[in-house]
Amino acid sequence: MTLFGLCKTMAELTADMFIVPVLRFQRNLFPPFSYPAGDLADWFASEGGIVTLAWIYAVNIAFAVGMTNLILVIHLERKIAARIQDRRGPMLSLRAFRELGEDLAGEAPTWRFKGNYSGIGIIQNMADGIKAITKELIIPNKADKFLFSMGPIIFISSSVFLLVLFPLSDRFAASAAPAGLMVIMAAFSIAPIGVLTSGWASNNKYSMIGGMRSAAQLMSYEIPLLLSMAGVFLLAGSYNPVDIVEQQRESTWLFGLPMWNFIPQFIGFIVFMICILAEVERVPFDLPEAEAELVEGWTTEYSGIRYMLFLAAEYIRGFAGAAVATILFLGGWAGPWPVPPEIWFLLKVYLIIIFWIFIRWTVPRIRTDQILELGWKKLLPLSLINILIVIFMVEIYPYFDDIVSLPEVF
Amino acid sequence: MAEMWISMGPQHPMTHGLWTLKVKVDGETIVDADPELGYLHRSVEKMGERRKYFMNTTLTDRLCYASSTTWTHSYVLAVEELMEVEVPTRAQYIRTIMLELQRLASHLMWAGAYMPDLGHITGALYFWRDRELFLNLLELPSGSRLLYNYMRIGGVKRDLPDGFEQKTERILKLFEQRLDEYADLFENSKIFRMRTEDVGKFTGTQAMNMGITGPNLRGCGVKHDLRVEDTYEIYDEVDWDVCTREAGPGYSDCFSRYMVRIDEMKESVRIIRDCFKKMPQGPTMSSRVPVRASGEAFRRTEDPRGEALMYLVGDGSDRPYRWKIKSPMFTTISACPHYLKGYKLADIPAIMGSIDICIGETDK
Repeated sequence: MTLFGLCKTMAELTADMFIVPVLRFQRNLFPPFSYPAGDLADWFASEGGIVTLAWIYAVNIAFAVGMTNLILVIHLERKIAARIQDRRGPMLSLRAFRELGEDLAGEAPTWRFKGNYSGIGIIQNMADGIKAITKELIIPNKADKFLFSMGPIIFISSSVFLLVLFPLSDRFAASAAPAGLMVIMAAFSIAPIGVLTSGWASNNKYSMIGGMRSAAQLMSYEIPLLLSMAGVFLLAGSYNPVDIVEQQRESTWLFGLPMWNFIPQFIGFIVFMICILAEVERVPFDLPEAEAELVEGWTTEYSGIRYMLFLAAEYIRGFAGAAVATILFLGGWAGPWPVPPEIWFLLKVYLIIIFWIFIRWTVPRIRTDQILELGWKKLLPLSLINILIVIFMVEIYPYFDDIVSLPEVF
Repeated sequence: MAEMWISMGPQHPMTHGLWTLKVKVDGETIVDADPELGYLHRSVEKMGERRKYFMNTTLTDRLCYASSTTWTHSYVLAVEELMEVEVPTRAQYIRTIMLELQRLASHLMWAGAYMPDLGHITGALYFWRDRELFLNLLELPSGSRLLYNYMRIGGVKRDLPDGFEQKTERILKLFEQRLDEYADLFENSKIFRMRTEDVGKFTGTQAMNMGITGPNLRGCGVKHDLRVEDTYEIYDEVDWDVCTREAGPGYSDCFSRYMVRIDEMKESVRIIRDCFKKMPQGPTMSSRVPVRASGEAFRRTEDPRGEALMYLVGDGSDRPYRWKIKSPMFTTISACPHYLKGYKLADIPAIMGSIDICIGETDK
């Protein structure tokens, strides 16, 4: 059963048991004023209402799965960064709170270290969230107040939107648009508008330079990124993530080994991994918020939950970027052992994220002119070479099939 | 984007202290720069003129939080010249060891502060972890972690504790291993070199004209080290070399300045080892230290950041009549418009970090 089928069953159940009876009851209660309720009841009883409700359920489930993963990604980042830096990272445990409560209930509270910081510290995320919510939302006096509030909305909503766009497997998909990956990349490219808006509206020179850098960065990575994806689309003949993964699952290599796209299109894979790193704005490409020269870049003037949601949205984008890389090049939910495909998918996504965390804490940040140079002079030709190789494989190779006997690839 | 002035500081991650750098940028390119100093002025010289000679060692400690002992030593040398005090040989050896340990701690502090400037947070934690080892060593004889007050007029506060040599040797061995490890993370890293090479260039001639001294000058390939040129303590007896680097013919960039400091740390390890080998037994304090002095004295020493100059005038009382400190960083920061122009905004932390700023000594 697919996710949508499950949601449809749930929608039918809820419509039959809860929504339609309640609305009908309202119509019967106040007959003269209840025509809208009656219409709604009829609509929810019809096929269209059920499907709409099912979509809402599916999107919410995908959103909840994504947000749960977000907590895990942030926690992984903290713990792995700490281990790289010879630290221990967050260790706050629930036991610490209990012992603190016992101390406070006693006569003389002691705040000394008692060895109770022995947890894995996942509660630190909750603590940060509470801190962010309780902080004041500051809007600078001379800021453009409307745009200042719109910037976070554009950035965060476009990032959260990403969560429902990629499937975790062929059955666990909230949306299965035929042009799925194009929609994902379009949603990815909305965020720099939010960055530019926030940077401009803050009325702060650092913020504005951060926003401008975001636009300059978009110029440099977006074209090689899409060109490196073009090879995959040519090979699969589709923009649909399900089709792309099916194509990778079916193609084999020597000795029947799986041939996922990163093997024939190795150049494209490298280009894509560099560009998607720039897309999700992680070190070494986090130029818009370079804290050494631009204080906090375009987020300088934001505070409280807005700032925290910016950070969360960046991690969501990281998660979505790793998911896109997995679908395109690492075989998606295909795997050798009979494990649920969703587990395979998440495993690969987390491998990429851990790789990114290692990169983030081992290299410095590069400069704006250097990323432009990298994008236009190095990655663009490389991605074109990749397309050439794929075109050779797809179009020209079949003509020589009877002369040159290569192992059966496609 | 039109040209605009950006005021970086006094509270800015780039400043490493309290000062303002006003930069005029055209897009991302720096067109003009204007440093503003004086936020941390504590009138150390005037305060010193109201205190007795031996009291001032606590003041000089507070000139620079990263290398306090070298400044106290510079002051103590000037007072000793003024009072014509002979320092025992063992005290001179101990002083040299302490100075070099302090130089290691100071350079590690700089390296740790430089890495976040380039966006490399892990580097800070690695270098500061090693700095802590040397702070522990400096704590053993002096009793405090940061402001030692260990150099005294006529010698040092007390002799080295038992087992100091073995502990130092152990830490130096560990430190040398770690420096080799770090080579892969920093100087062999492609992105690190992209950020530091061909950035913040000035030639040796320019550096001398602008008054830039110390590792920044030696990064241009100029073999100028006051430990050799105007030698003090026992630097002429131990076995070591002046290290120089150059990015190209006669000029320096951020990478050569980084490398010259890494080389200096290795040389400091050599100096410390040789000092322990040659150190004699004997007293650590001069038997006769006067309280009053008259005349004038002028000493210059090689601080981790450049030439530290001390000028003292005594009028026969127990307090200095005039005390002048010349800080190496004051001239270096003042010259920053010359080596900032033409580079990108993102290069400001890379350049200003590479010259090793300490605002405490700059503003005095």
